Amino acid sequence: MPYEALDFYDVDSLLTDEERMVRDMVRDFVDEEVIPKIEHACRDGVFPDEWRVALGEMGVLGAPLKGYDCPGLSYTAYGVICRELERGDSGLRSFASVQGSLAMYPIWDFGSEEQKQYYLPKMASGEWIGCFGLTEPDYGSNPGDMITKAEDMGDHYLLNGAKMWITNGTIAQLAVVWAKLDGVIRGFIVEKDDPGFSAPEMKGKHSLKASVTSELVFQDCKIPKDRILPGVKGLRGPFSCLNNARYGISWGAVGAAQACFDSAKEYSLSRIQFTHPIASYQLVQNKLAWMLREITKAQLLAYHLGQKKDAGTWIPEHISLAKMNNVDIALEIAREARDIHGANGILDEYCIMRHMANLESVKTYEGTHDIHNLILGRHITGIQSFTREL
Amino acid sequence: MNLQTPTVRSLIFIDELMVEGTSKGNHMTIAVLLKQVPDTTAKISVNGGRVDENAVSKWSFSPYDEYALESALQLKESAGGEIVAITAGPARCEKLLRDAAAVGADTLVHVSAENINDFDSIQVQNLLAAAVQKSGASVVFCGKQAADTNAGSTGPGVAELIGASCVTLVSEVSSDGGGYTATRPSSAGHEKVAVSAPCVFAFDKGICEMRRPNVRGIMMAKKKPIETWSVEDLGVDIGANGVNIDSHSPPAEKPPGQKFEGADSVSTVVSKLRDEANVI
Ligand SMILES: Cc1cc2nc3c(=O)[nH]c(=O)nc-3n(C[C@H](O)[C@H](O)[C@H](O)COP(=O)(O)OP(=O)(O)OC[C@H]3O[C@@H](n4cnc5c(N)ncnc54)[C@H](O)[C@@H]3O)c2cc1C
Repeated sequence: MPYEALDFYDVDSLLTDEERMVRDMVRDFVDEEVIPKIEHACRDGVFPDEWRVALGEMGVLGAPLKGYDCPGLSYTAYGVICRELERGDSGLRSFASVQGSLAMYPIWDFGSEEQKQYYLPKMASGEWIGCFGLTEPDYGSNPGDMITKAEDMGDHYLLNGAKMWITNGTIAQLAVVWAKLDGVIRGFIVEKDDPGFSAPEMKGKHSLKASVTSELVFQDCKIPKDRILPGVKGLRGPFSCLNNARYGISWGAVGAAQACFDSAKEYSLSRIQFTHPIASYQLVQNKLAWMLREITKAQLLAYHLGQKKDAGTWIPEHISLAKMNNVDIALEIAREARDIHGANGILDEYCIMRHMANLESVKTYEGTHDIHNLILGRHITGIQSFTREL
Repeated sequence: MNLQTPTVRSLIFIDELMVEGTSKGNHMTIAVLLKQVPDTTAKISVNGGRVDENAVSKWSFSPYDEYALESALQLKESAGGEIVAITAGPARCEKLLRDAAAVGADTLVHVSAENINDFDSIQVQNLLAAAVQKSGASVVFCGKQAADTNAGSTGPGVAELIGASCVTLVSEVSSDGGGYTATRPSSAGHEKVAVSAPCVFAFDKGICEMRRPNVRGIMMAKKKPIETWSVEDLGVDIGANGVNIDSHSPPAEKPPGQKFEGADSVSTVVSKLRDEANVI
């Protein structure tokens, strides 16, 4: 059965012609190149290199960035791209999020002119892959206390420390690394072959298996002075990247949910138990109706947030709400869809269990579900409750 | 037995004098005729004996037209020239032209005909032939048949009307600068047919799937103007409805399949495959 994207309120009719053409391009790519290969990629634990090439050829990497051979699309188009990619697999969307929002964006916004001219064109074309090193083994939700540090050695910087859970790390030509220089968080561009840098892959994931996750290790890693991002100091740097990536995830989760819904609908119509399709039973219909309701709300949230991003009228809390809600409902929908598929739901013949396992990571990275609750709690009350130490 | 496919090279020179502007560097204009049809994967519903257009969830290029467009793009890349994408139909067809522009069509022509479904194939051919002539193209690429009506008459019909030679069931076209060589199947394998402009190539499955667009192409497509020509603009008398389809009948039912189970049936299955199905 060909995929039918649920769009109950016809939200996509609000997209521009250009955004719809981008949607169709990415959707076709996912149908033709991703769906037939995704289960193998997961089984082998690899991100197929041809997907990198195709994303570069389509010109969707760093979608909303302008200049330096970047696509210059709207934020809404970027959201649509994330949604269509994540309908295929969250690992594929993660690749694009990290490349565009976490690696290209900081260079585009905080980099020197030379850095932009040197790195951005080859990242937009997919020739170079980037990764983003913020999380450390002991500092996840609380990156402000990171221990990775940089020292100014006069004619170079010396980096020491370790990052963990870094998407694309092992396959990347460059890492945007956040480290403390004289106690202040700064961004540095570390290249693959810099002395003292290694990026071993983390193995054994049950989630995002088609995405590469790595450690970044810096042992007296020496980098030239012109690799510091001159334009930002403090947590604002990494957080502005995260805002963009989280925004994309709020759309991406809708894609994963649509895929699960589509599969559950088809399955329930064809599966006969007690002489009738299970879709004819009220309990199953209730599940499908609930999925339709939550996906429709999530689509409206994502679209409206996209409009706010494009108009520049957003605040980070808007993004927290959308990321948290949409990933939450997508995960719940994956679980309900798994239930509707019965035993078949655990097979890799269906996308369900893969999306479900993927979404567990998506719920945690880019600010855990509860960290976004705390961000909203602080917004409502004016009282931060992340820590007792302040 | 010689298992190699023999290649026959048949050269058909139409009229040397008719060759116009096809040499390398000269301006070659290829018109690609594109039809928008319900996507072959889309669910369709039938209303009053016709496909309910309002219920079509996805419209696409007719698949053989995609091969024609891709081949035209490749010919342009190797031999230079310009591609005019032409479609006839209601306003919804403009999307098709934008999609063609996104992959590289240079000029977009919409022959506006809201009631195209009321036209028979000869009337549509009249419209398309007039549009081809107005566009200045001397070479026409189209699909061998459309995925909705499957009539297969457009390519030869347009060729007849514009006085062009026509090669059907084409999989590939190349140009040495002077004329065109088309590859098509023959009873012995493949044959290469050489023609000069004006000529029409009706494509079967080509050698390459249509390329995927990219963001840059999409952004350029958005800015590209669409020339809209009405029947009046074309100044063509498309004549009266002349083709009547008396009846449709489904294909004859296939005889029921046979089922064999268990190891005992192996020899029966083998003999049937060998003697009846002739597959082993
Ligand atoms: C597949 C994958 C890819 C990733 N890719 C990247 C990457 O590319 N770059 C990168 O830098 N990082 C990446 N991460 C790391 C990710 O951002 C962190 O896992 C995330 O920030 C959470 O940190 P943690 O895992 O240390 O959990 P913790 O911070 O230890 O949280 C554990 C639990 O405690 C809760 N918690 C924490 N603090 C509080 C509090 N104050 N109040 C209440 N509850 C609290 C959390 O909500 C959570 O439920 C990735 C993670 C995964 C799984």
